Amino acid sequence: MSTFTANLIFSVLFLVFGAALGLLGNGDKFRRKVSVELNPGLTHPWVLPPGVNLVHVQGLGLNDTLHFLLCNHGAPALLMVHTNSTQSSVQVDWPSFIKSSSPRSLKVEPQSSVLYSSALVFTRVWEYDDVNNTADPQQTAESSFYPPYELQNFIWSDLNKTGDQSNHTLQLCGGENTESFVNGSLCLQFSAFESVGRDQPWPSLHHNANSSQLHVWLKGVTPRGNHSRFALEFQSVGDSGFEGRVDVYSSIDDEYTPSIFKVSQWVSSPVNSTGVWGYNQWKPVAYRKADPVFEDATPCKHSQLVSMTHIPQSRLVQAYFTNDTQTYGLNISFGIEKDPAFYSDTKYISWTVLVGLGDPPADSFSTLIIIIITVGLGTPLVIIIVGGVFVWLRKKRSQSSGYEPIN
Amino acid sequence: MADRREYEGLLDDEEDDDEGVSPHLSPLCDPTHLLHRILVLVFMCFLGFGSYFCYDNPAALQTQVIQDMGLNTASFMQLYAWYSWPNVVLCFLGGFLLDRVFGIRLGTIIFSLFVLLGQIIFAAGALANHFWLMNLGRFVFGIGGESLAVAQNTYAVNWFKGKELNLVFGLQLSMARVGSTVNMNVIGWVYGRIEAMLGSTGHTTLGITLMIAASTCLFSLICALILGFLDRRAEKILKKEQGKTGEVIKLTDVKDFPVSLWLIFIVCVAYYVAIFPFIGLGQVFFIEKFAFTTVQARAINSIVYIISAPASPLLGFVVDRIGRNVLWVMLAVITTLLSHMMLAFTFWNPWIAMCLLGLSYSLLACALWPMVAFVVPEHQLGTAYGFMQSIQNLGLALMSMAAGSILDLKGYLFLEVFFIACLCLALLAVVLLYLYNSYKEGELNLSASERTSRMKPEDAQRLRVPQPSVEDHDHLKPLSPFGLRIRYLSRLGVQMPDHRSSLAYRSVLR
Repeated sequence: MSTFTANLIFSVLFLVFGAALGLLGNGDKFRRKVSVELNPGLTHPWVLPPGVNLVHVQGLGLNDTLHFLLCNHGAPALLMVHTNSTQSSVQVDWPSFIKSSSPRSLKVEPQSSVLYSSALVFTRVWEYDDVNNTADPQQTAESSFYPPYELQNFIWSDLNKTGDQSNHTLQLCGGENTESFVNGSLCLQFSAFESVGRDQPWPSLHHNANSSQLHVWLKGVTPRGNHSRFALEFQSVGDSGFEGRVDVYSSIDDEYTPSIFKVSQWVSSPVNSTGVWGYNQWKPVAYRKADPVFEDATPCKHSQLVSMTHIPQSRLVQAYFTNDTQTYGLNISFGIEKDPAFYSDTKYISWTVLVGLGDPPADSFSTLIIIIITVGLGTPLVIIIVGGVFVWLRKKRSQSSGYEPIN
Repeated sequence: MADRREYEGLLDDEEDDDEGVSPHLSPLCDPTHLLHRILVLVFMCFLGFGSYFCYDNPAALQTQVIQDMGLNTASFMQLYAWYSWPNVVLCFLGGFLLDRVFGIRLGTIIFSLFVLLGQIIFAAGALANHFWLMNLGRFVFGIGGESLAVAQNTYAVNWFKGKELNLVFGLQLSMARVGSTVNMNVIGWVYGRIEAMLGSTGHTTLGITLMIAASTCLFSLICALILGFLDRRAEKILKKEQGKTGEVIKLTDVKDFPVSLWLIFIVCVAYYVAIFPFIGLGQVFFIEKFAFTTVQARAINSIVYIISAPASPLLGFVVDRIGRNVLWVMLAVITTLLSHMMLAFTFWNPWIAMCLLGLSYSLLACALWPMVAFVVPEHQLGTAYGFMQSIQNLGLALMSMAAGSILDLKGYLFLEVFFIACLCLALLAVVLLYLYNSYKEGELNLSASERTSRMKPEDAQRLRVPQPSVEDHDHLKPLSPFGLRIRYLSRLGVQMPDHRSSLAYRSVLR
């Protein structure tokens, strides 16, 4: 009896595990073949200014291609172009791209294959003196703001390419030629992905083959006030006919980003439609240390989305988009009301955003959690069923023997 | 023989009344008069107020402690772990120290001093910005805290033997809950006032707040001194003995514990580690996940205590009337599991989950703790309860630290899943207990009427007739199991019903 019980328990556990693993297995298996190319087609004698690069990341799918272009000529920008062809390529008219900002000096050919394009431009870093400790630039008097750092004027050091077969990572750092940036810099780390996964460091956003990640940090910059806080200004440029909005979702899953239960999504969808074509997704958290622990997390908030009249001063965006564009701007600010820590305490703040195509990826429970819950709930259930039957049988047997005829 | 002492207590009172020792005393000063005993009761209730108030200071000031001392959650939870460590041992020793070493009066004063000293060290640690000193403070505080509860109950038995005893236990228990609740809702406000006065937050602000909290411990110490004085005065006037806990601890009994008792231990540890560390970390959880304000978060975090004050006696009565303790425990574990799952996997209004948690916590205490008396013989009861509390404290100490680390590394969802896993273990143990009990046809899950019918008639007869005392040194003998159990139950948030139930006698019969 006991071996039978044990067998039954094991087989049920096996089934439960199998089901749990099966449930996990049907996740997003979609892969892209990612290749990275620096300054495609650039030949002597044409040279880009020092520290300036045009990076082309091509993600080849089964019947489409996702192009990411990152360029720090002017304000750093990340352009995403989706085509329905596996043969599409990026064509740069280098002389006009370097010299002037003439439209169409950068094209994705064939142009008819382009389904969707949008760009995220990192335009300014705001600094303000948060005397009242509200950590909200929108409630801060204009006089408390210092002149912003314009990223189009930054001087960039050489591009740093790291990563392996499945993880393509590029890093560029720069700063203004002022005292503030003597020991400090603003850095951007760009990652492209071949398949689903998460980066190890927090906020460990859930990425897939249709997304890329931008990790921004401000390190060692000398603050101009005792209560300095920073905010980042971003602009997104897309084809007219699309409109942007920012949605904030609640998520019960904070396993990968402890204590953060919200996800913000800046999505772009066609006018009069709810379908999402492209997104910038982030969790409202920033970290005060490069290697953060739980206490180094600080909330961040975003301003309202503002429609802009001009496209930003980024050579890449100016070269790709024609006049028919729609531009939105948004600020990301760090800290929370009455936050005792200011930038000067750690001289570090970092923030991460996912830029991608289609619907933003959603969080799901980790394998470990599913296993714990199934085993935890399954075991008592199995034992009560098996044991209940066992006890019932025993009782029945003893009862039936009790009623046997005496003779 | 179980009730003999209590019976004699009543007889003593009657004799005293007959003698009319002190006709010249006013009722308030007359130890035999009800009015005087009510006065004593007031001091008795406030005796524990300080320690209950200060126990949950860290939980009520979680964000402030973490910020001002520059801690992470794991080290913050050490404040709770350090409270539990001394009690792993003291659960066995507390009763012995009171009976044989200090005596109830001196013992109470000493333990109150420990509580006060512990809280002062704790506050000094904050003032001096030394976290290790704060931990030391919690350790000293822990030495005093749990033993003080033992002393409090011993006083109650000594002064209120007879029919007022349950009411007195109930009042003491409610005072404990009042202390916790007042702390949860007030100490944050105090911190805010100090902050406004000093103009900034910081370890000094925290230290001053905790020093102010220490005044409740000083108040309790004064109560202990007055109680000691009144008790000695009563002893002189009435020529009665000092109260005894009557606890007998024999560690060698552990090897004779039956399987059911071990299963009860598992339920106890696995259940309570999913409650107390959760409350310790709860405040920030409600702020971060459910966007509560600090005031709301404090209120919801104290709701478990608030509910348990009225629910414990009510549920205790119901459980006692119906019997079937194992099923009640199972129900309590399942509802707790449900409420933790609500908190983990939904954004439903957490008030629902927390009220459910409060109810099931009270139900579990009412149904679980009395079960020990069914499975161990009377002479092992002290050891069994001591052991149960000891491993409960061990579990709490370890799990407090584990919970802090899990939160730091994996976040609240995983922490909740961890608590759910603990509850699943408790559920597993209850299920096994149920099956084992059915298999052995034990009496854990009998209904109350079945229990009564199982009592042998001669036993029932014996219970009604008090047996004459054989020994002269009556006070050295253990307290009746009923009284003994009542002491443990009241320490843990259970109130025994007023009537003498078959349940209470059951242990006597074995």
